[in-house]
Amino acid sequence: MISILYIEDEVDIGNWVVNILKERSYEVIWLRSGEQVDRYIGTADLVILDVMLPGLDGFSIGRRVKKERGDLPILMLSARTAIEDKVEGLHFADDYVTKPFHPDELLARIEVLLRRFQKFDEQIQLQHLTIYPKEMRIINNETNEEVQLTGKQYHLLQFFISHLNQILTKEQLYEGVWGEQFIEGDKTLMVHIRYLREKIEKNPAAPTIIETIRGLGYRVKL
Amino acid sequence: MKFFRSLLAKYILIIVLALFLIQFAYLAIAIFMTSFASDLGESHTIEGHISESEIEKQWHKAANQLQVAEQEHVEQFFNEWQERYTDSAMFWIDEHGQLRAQRNVTMQYPQHWTPTDTAKFMKSRYGGDPFTVVAFVGSNEDKGFVVLEMSRSLFQPPIRKIYDDYGMILLIGVVFIVFVFIAVSLLFFRGIRKRLLQLQESMTIRDVDTLPIPIDVKRHDEIGQLEQSFNQMVAELKESDERRQQEEQLRRELIANLSHDLRTPLTKMRAQAYGLNKEPLSSEGQLSLQSLEQSIVHVDRLMENLMSYTLLMASKYELHLKEVDVIRFTRESIASWYPVFEKEGFEIDVSLEPFAQSIWYVDQIWLGRILDNILQNVLRHAKDGKYVAVASVSTDQYDAIQISDRGLGIAHESLEKGAGIGLSIVDMMVKGMSLQWEIQSTEQGTTVLLQRFK
Repeated sequence: MISILYIEDEVDIGNWVVNILKERSYEVIWLRSGEQVDRYIGTADLVILDVMLPGLDGFSIGRRVKKERGDLPILMLSARTAIEDKVEGLHFADDYVTKPFHPDELLARIEVLLRRFQKFDEQIQLQHLTIYPKEMRIINNETNEEVQLTGKQYHLLQFFISHLNQILTKEQLYEGVWGEQFIEGDKTLMVHIRYLREKIEKNPAAPTIIETIRGLGYRVKL
Repeated sequence: MKFFRSLLAKYILIIVLALFLIQFAYLAIAIFMTSFASDLGESHTIEGHISESEIEKQWHKAANQLQVAEQEHVEQFFNEWQERYTDSAMFWIDEHGQLRAQRNVTMQYPQHWTPTDTAKFMKSRYGGDPFTVVAFVGSNEDKGFVVLEMSRSLFQPPIRKIYDDYGMILLIGVVFIVFVFIAVSLLFFRGIRKRLLQLQESMTIRDVDTLPIPIDVKRHDEIGQLEQSFNQMVAELKESDERRQQEEQLRRELIANLSHDLRTPLTKMRAQAYGLNKEPLSSEGQLSLQSLEQSIVHVDRLMENLMSYTLLMASKYELHLKEVDVIRFTRESIASWYPVFEKEGFEIDVSLEPFAQSIWYVDQIWLGRILDNILQNVLRHAKDGKYVAVASVSTDQYDAIQISDRGLGIAHESLEKGAGIGLSIVDMMVKGMSLQWEIQSTEQGTTVLLQRFK
């Protein structure tokens, strides 16, 4: 089970968030201040941090946590919305959500972070595909055969999976997978997406896994 | 003590010194000249400055004492006198009118003197130059007479003589002294001028905080006092600037804290609404709950806008201009908005093509905020149209990002209010980045153009 360390001094908000998280079957450790953070850092998979706290503020706690465990994703959840605060927070934190947040948004962002830091053990179900990210294995459920991808194709699919439900522009995809500046008119990305679709889509002519969003880019929706 | 440090005191000192120097110079020249002259005095002037009448008396006395009027006696007498008065001329006419002995005589006198000659000589020499003394030899006045001739100039006072002999040197000396005085005055005023210019220059230099830099006060005269006053002014400016910054900081803190404190109960409201949603509710209850949700979102946005607006009005919203690919930026911005529009059932039409010059010099946060506010407005006011289009538009005059919807338009609301605080922020941010914008709203829809003129 995924363990979330949540630090929040407001009882009403704390109760609510704990409930939301538990509904999604996350294990939650809720602390009212940063005093005992050290005891739980070792076992947590993700930290949700408020900024305005009694004693040490969220920024100081976050910096300490990140220093101790760089692989632990931190999500700031604060009513402080000034750009200066966000900038300061994002120096060490991996995301910054402002209050009042919508629970769906919070959950979505938590999932993005968990996926990005590969905290999920289980497989991902994408229509007729089952993907095991840690083993880099893709199984076609209908044929029960493993889908064989080239390195670049797998890399591309992985990039989509770590940005599930997000629209990715050509530039973002190219720079994320190839690690180079995208040059307008370059067809490399489109060619790779066509090959990838041929391998994973049921009907490559009408793709449903990798959606084309006209004028913007591509998206893989869970 | 203060007076003695002042420029005025210095100036008075210079003037007094100058006056004294002129007097002193005269004195010095006189002393120098006198001593110089007295060195030559043995041959040129009369020792002890004996007057004409004294010479006359002595000559008479000495001539009277000459009892034996023999050639050798007279010659010896002449020798004695010539030793005393080197520049004098002497001659002897005996009782027969014969010119018998002479010394240094330059004039052509007759060998034999008639009474007429004697009278003529006496007449011509009376009161004239050379100074002439005629004395009878012996006490009986029967042995002829001796004549002493001396240049009148030998009797002139030393200064007169100096004027005559060394006038040029004296003039040069005086001119030199005058020049020294002028030079000292000039140095004095040049010093003042230099310091004033330095002061003026350092007044124009600005520190990193755009305030002048205090001056190092070296002297405590009038300019030093001016510098001190200037430093005091700088200190006061600094203080006031710090105070202003502190106030600004406080104000920012206040807004941030206020916003935080308002958002916390807003979050609690949302928690309550979420809890209510779990309960079995009537359809009316469901509607109220939805309306409550919307109000929470609306208040949240209003507070965000109010905060930005306050900061923008105080010009305290930080602007970091850099080169941004506006097409790419807009595309990514729309991509993040896409799910929201999708959820509301909007048709989304994006056609962004690169401009000839797609790199705009803007602040990413500001540009993002502008797009957010415009899209928020579409979402709030143009829900009925279920359509939003984002396109790149290029004309001869400008490149633009065009956002249009098919809502009822904001014309029937209050356009004067700029459709609320959100568009006021758009306006301020657009102008802050030297871009322009246009909004056209009809009942068929609203079009916003974010323009960069070529």
